[in-house]
Amino acid sequence: MNDPTILILTSLSSGERHGYALLQDIERFAGVRLGPGTLYGAIGRLEQRGMIEPVGDSGRRRPYRLTAAGSLELESSLAQMRTIVDEGTARLGHRPAPATMRTTEALA
Amino acid sequence: MNGDRSTRRLLAWYPPSWRARYGEELAALILDMTDGRQLSWRLRADIAAAGTRERLRGVGDARGGGRLVLWAWAIFIIAGAIVAKTSEHWQTTLPVGGHWIAAAAFPALTVLAIATALLVLAGIALTIPSLIAFLQTGGWPKIRAWILAAAALSTALVAATVAIVAWAHGLTHAARNGHDALYATAFLIWAALAAITLLAWTKAATTTANRLSLTPTTLHLHARLAPAIALAMTLMTTATMMVWVAVAVAAPASIRPPAGTAPSVPSDTPQAFAILAAAGLMTFATALAGVGARRADSV
Repeated sequence: MNDPTILILTSLSSGERHGYALLQDIERFAGVRLGPGTLYGAIGRLEQRGMIEPVGDSGRRRPYRLTAAGSLELESSLAQMRTIVDEGTARLGHRPAPATMRTTEALA
Repeated sequence: MNGDRSTRRLLAWYPPSWRARYGEELAALILDMTDGRQLSWRLRADIAAAGTRERLRGVGDARGGGRLVLWAWAIFIIAGAIVAKTSEHWQTTLPVGGHWIAAAAFPALTVLAIATALLVLAGIALTIPSLIAFLQTGGWPKIRAWILAAAALSTALVAATVAIVAWAHGLTHAARNGHDALYATAFLIWAALAAITLLAWTKAATTTANRLSLTPTTLHLHARLAPAIALAMTLMTTATMMVWVAVAVAAPASIRPPAGTAPSVPSDTPQAFAILAAAGLMTFATALAGVGARRADSV
């Protein structure tokens, strides 16, 4: 869940942001503090894959926005995560609690 | 501005092509994060690791790949010019009907050269909308130095061309082809100036391309053009080798005149050197284009 590319796509899904605004937003909703190198490495990869694009043609604080391909990628990744979360939750629900397991082992 | 200087030093971890595209933005982000304070070891480590990763990923991938192909094409043109110059003599020394391989390979080489030049021009044309946008947003100062240097060299080349053509008109065929040492030296200096001018324009073009915001569509089209250009260069290198082998078999005197005979060219040494130089440059350029095409395809 700490994949910087997913975090960036999620942040940009609510509007365009430049680097510093992205870092602050990601820290706020995910509790993850990305380093600037990590952030821009992910931005570069996402831009090359056409998932995000810069707004405007130059400038030191250039904002980025999500593309249609980026929206699809985010939806697909979130659906995958939801499947894993649902499956994990369901399996945890059917597993005996740790204390019960120890009692059962003692009785055997 | 101490922090600004140390930030710029830190960005040296990244490859130049990456810095040209994202360096300013990353420097601004670091400035925002530190607010002029000293850079923490954690931030430095993050930049060092990310910069190293970018270097390992290979020269900005698609963008760097396209740049390598353009450099390869410039080197190939220089080799092609050497081939064209040396071919002037071979074609007149070949026996009629005894060189069908050369007769087939040479026109194929010409057609391929024109087709490849058109592919390279198409690749450059794709970047024009981004270039216009870049210039409209004040990008000119960032590329001015290289463009002006290339333009100055072009002006010198035009003047040198006019001078050497005027000189050549007053010389005999033999004098123009190496029997006049002074003219031969001037011709070599002119050829070197032409090669340097071509390389200067290539540097100006790649420096500019590195600063453009190319759309994913453009990068994808470049990724398709690059292997086609690399393949065409491979075929042209093969065709050139076939011409030389055919000529060496059908008319060995044109490359190495037998002792005691008047050579069609002043000496076999410059001819053999020119062939070796062209072969080496063509092979190197073709290999470079192959590497560039592979990187360009990593979009």
